[in-house]
Amino acid sequence: MLSEQRIRGILFYLSLCIFCAGLPFILSFALGYKFNRRTFHFTKTGLIDLKTQPPGASIYLDGRLLEEKTPTTISELLPGEYNLRLELKMHYPWAGLVKVEEGQVTRLDKIILFLERQDIKQLNKAQFSSLWVDETAGHIYYFSLQDSSVYTSGLEGDNFEKVADFVRIQPPPLKCILSEDRQKLLYFNAHQIAIVGMHPEKYEFLKDTSFILGVPDKIIINVFWYSDNYHIIVVTSKDIEAWEAKPEAQPVQLLRLSKKSTFAHYDPKTDTLYFTDLQKAPDGNFYDNLYKLQLNNKLYPFSEFINLKPAFDFDKVRMRLNGKESDLQ
Amino acid sequence: MEKNQIYNRHNRTLEIIPGALSWGVIFLLILFAYFKPVACALIVIVFDFYWIIRTGYLTTLLIMAYHKLARQKDNDWLAACQSLGITGGLERLFHLIIFPVYKEGPDILRASLDALKNSHYPKERMIVVVAYEERYKYSRENALILEKEFKGDFFAYLSTFHPDGLAGETRTKGANATWGAKAAKQFLDNKGINYENVVISCFDADTCVDKEYFGCLAYHFLTSPKPHQSSYQPMPVYNNNIWYAPSFARLVEISASFCQMIESMRLEKFVTFSSHSMSFKTLVEIGYWPTDMVSDDSMVYWKAFLFFKGDYRVIPLYITVSMDAAYSRNLFKTLVVQYKQKRRWAWGVENFPFVVSRFLKDDQIPLLLKIRRTFNLLESHVTWALWAVIIVVAASLPILLGGAFFARVTAIGYNLPKVTGLLFNCTLMTSIIWILLSRTILPPRPKEVKWVKNLVMASEWVLVPFIVLILGSTPALDAQTRLMLAKYMEFNPTEKTKKVV
Repeated sequence: MLSEQRIRGILFYLSLCIFCAGLPFILSFALGYKFNRRTFHFTKTGLIDLKTQPPGASIYLDGRLLEEKTPTTISELLPGEYNLRLELKMHYPWAGLVKVEEGQVTRLDKIILFLERQDIKQLNKAQFSSLWVDETAGHIYYFSLQDSSVYTSGLEGDNFEKVADFVRIQPPPLKCILSEDRQKLLYFNAHQIAIVGMHPEKYEFLKDTSFILGVPDKIIINVFWYSDNYHIIVVTSKDIEAWEAKPEAQPVQLLRLSKKSTFAHYDPKTDTLYFTDLQKAPDGNFYDNLYKLQLNNKLYPFSEFINLKPAFDFDKVRMRLNGKESDLQ
Repeated sequence: MEKNQIYNRHNRTLEIIPGALSWGVIFLLILFAYFKPVACALIVIVFDFYWIIRTGYLTTLLIMAYHKLARQKDNDWLAACQSLGITGGLERLFHLIIFPVYKEGPDILRASLDALKNSHYPKERMIVVVAYEERYKYSRENALILEKEFKGDFFAYLSTFHPDGLAGETRTKGANATWGAKAAKQFLDNKGINYENVVISCFDADTCVDKEYFGCLAYHFLTSPKPHQSSYQPMPVYNNNIWYAPSFARLVEISASFCQMIESMRLEKFVTFSSHSMSFKTLVEIGYWPTDMVSDDSMVYWKAFLFFKGDYRVIPLYITVSMDAAYSRNLFKTLVVQYKQKRRWAWGVENFPFVVSRFLKDDQIPLLLKIRRTFNLLESHVTWALWAVIIVVAASLPILLGGAFFARVTAIGYNLPKVTGLLFNCTLMTSIIWILLSRTILPPRPKEVKWVKNLVMASEWVLVPFIVLILGSTPALDAQTRLMLAKYMEFNPTEKTKKVV
């Protein structure tokens, strides 16, 4: 019978043997080596880390179906390019050429398998020409040129209803823009601006807000609502003007422009107009410059808090901008 | 003076070595993780694999030790001694039992003394010394209570009171035990008892011996080829209050018992721990326990080892002595108590400078033996301070510090968490064996403890990773750092609690 200490000695050396024999395999696995049992050589391999959304996709590697499903790691791959195809029932397959490099992981962890039949739903209940989605208020506005109407619905197409009638303008409008308070709609073509009150039956004061403003001698490039929802800023081929949104209103010219087709962007939160125009440089040449025109009314600092947006003081603005106007000429 | 300074410098260097090694490895791992993450990952994997092989090997030793313990459980050791005949020496043999006590009251000691009284061994061959600390104000009061109860039960029952602040002493258990042993020596001299016929057992205040303990000890003493060049180490279990201890305290104590059982199978490294026995003659010759060191239990072994020029051993006794599991009133306090206890055990690292400095001066102990013991001592303490750090923390270092390329692109960066996780889980698998064995060393469930506690005790092993993190390496690292910085520890007695308050 073996003594305890001898058994312990045998156990010790057995453990040592297991350690020495097992360590190369563990280290080679960790480093991405594959042991070839035929040649008794280690070959450096790479691996593919696969994750799909949703999981459970079948994996075809160079046309061969693997047992694993996503998410998984395909290890011990010899360096090279592999045709990878992922298939999941009721979903569009994903296919691609994947490059595997030795000792490295190719991560494909952002694959989305889209549903074959998406959840499609028709929202409009009448014909329309253009639309505008107001995510903040949760409304969709449909503009129909056929029956000169504005419709609205919820984001799911619910509560579909007609909210206003258009005043027809010819040629058809280039663009439709809702006022910030969603109570007025303006649309325009090259020489006409039409304004329509939304929900006229609900709001008594909107009954008269359906009219057309004519701009015969120049081309309208863009129109914006001023933040008081009563004035509009009109960018034309000759100048920038401010109009009151009322029948037979007269424009106030804010700036004269040298360029006929200016770019304009309006930020209604700060009442700032960004526009481009040509300016003569000291070298005698004209260059396009970008300008920022601040139109916010600072005369009433508490107006935002009490939600009163006073009418724009055009005379003061005109006086303030006179200097700049001359610069731009 | 100059010689003394050189000695002190050598000793300081030796004190610094274990802590410097442990911290050096940790800093190297951090540096490698940052600059050479692949190398760091490989080191971690090699260590993890080594650890699982080691755990498997040690668990096998544990099974062997357990098998031996179970096999010898019902031995009638006294009969075995008697079978040795008159020449065996049983009739001449005395057992001197010392309980060094500080604040432990009669409630703790009564159970220990009762265990002596109920042991299957002639009490008229037992001399009991309860060694009190004079600085504790209730010592004399407690001594009177216990003397009244136990005075007539043994050949002799002595109460000693160790004065505080003696020259060359620190407040350690060893100082008190030495005071008690010296008083016993005087008693033996007065009675004309030969030291050669006395076996001394130094027990913690809460140590309750198995009823066969003294028979077993006597048998091994009488049959040992070199009885005076041997210490006798029983298997410590913490069964006194194990059913009342919180889960993780129980786990730690059971693990400590198992570690001791494993050590009992590695005789070439086996060192005395906690309650142990030895020849009184040897104890006197080597100058008793150290009076200025915390780890008196292991140090007394090293003193004897040096005295006998390496021809000294610890003989395992496959019989249990039961002590209290360390716990306190709430979970946090229990954690603190456990931490302090483990740190005190880890303070055994003070053996390293003591032993090595004497090895350097000694020319009679075989060189190979000195090298082996030095290596064992250093390796065991450094491994203790590092294993949990490497297994739990170091595996994530290359991922955290090695940069995005290592973590996201390289195969080893990808495989590292998987491999180390798998190896760690394999290590935990050995817990199943430990769970099964832990059930077998438990005492019967007290009536007031509900049977549900059985389920709790089986499921509490899920706490192992948490315990490993808190109590695995940190107490050892703490102790080594203190020694490295010359912030020497004093003996910090473990709080004893019989029941949950």
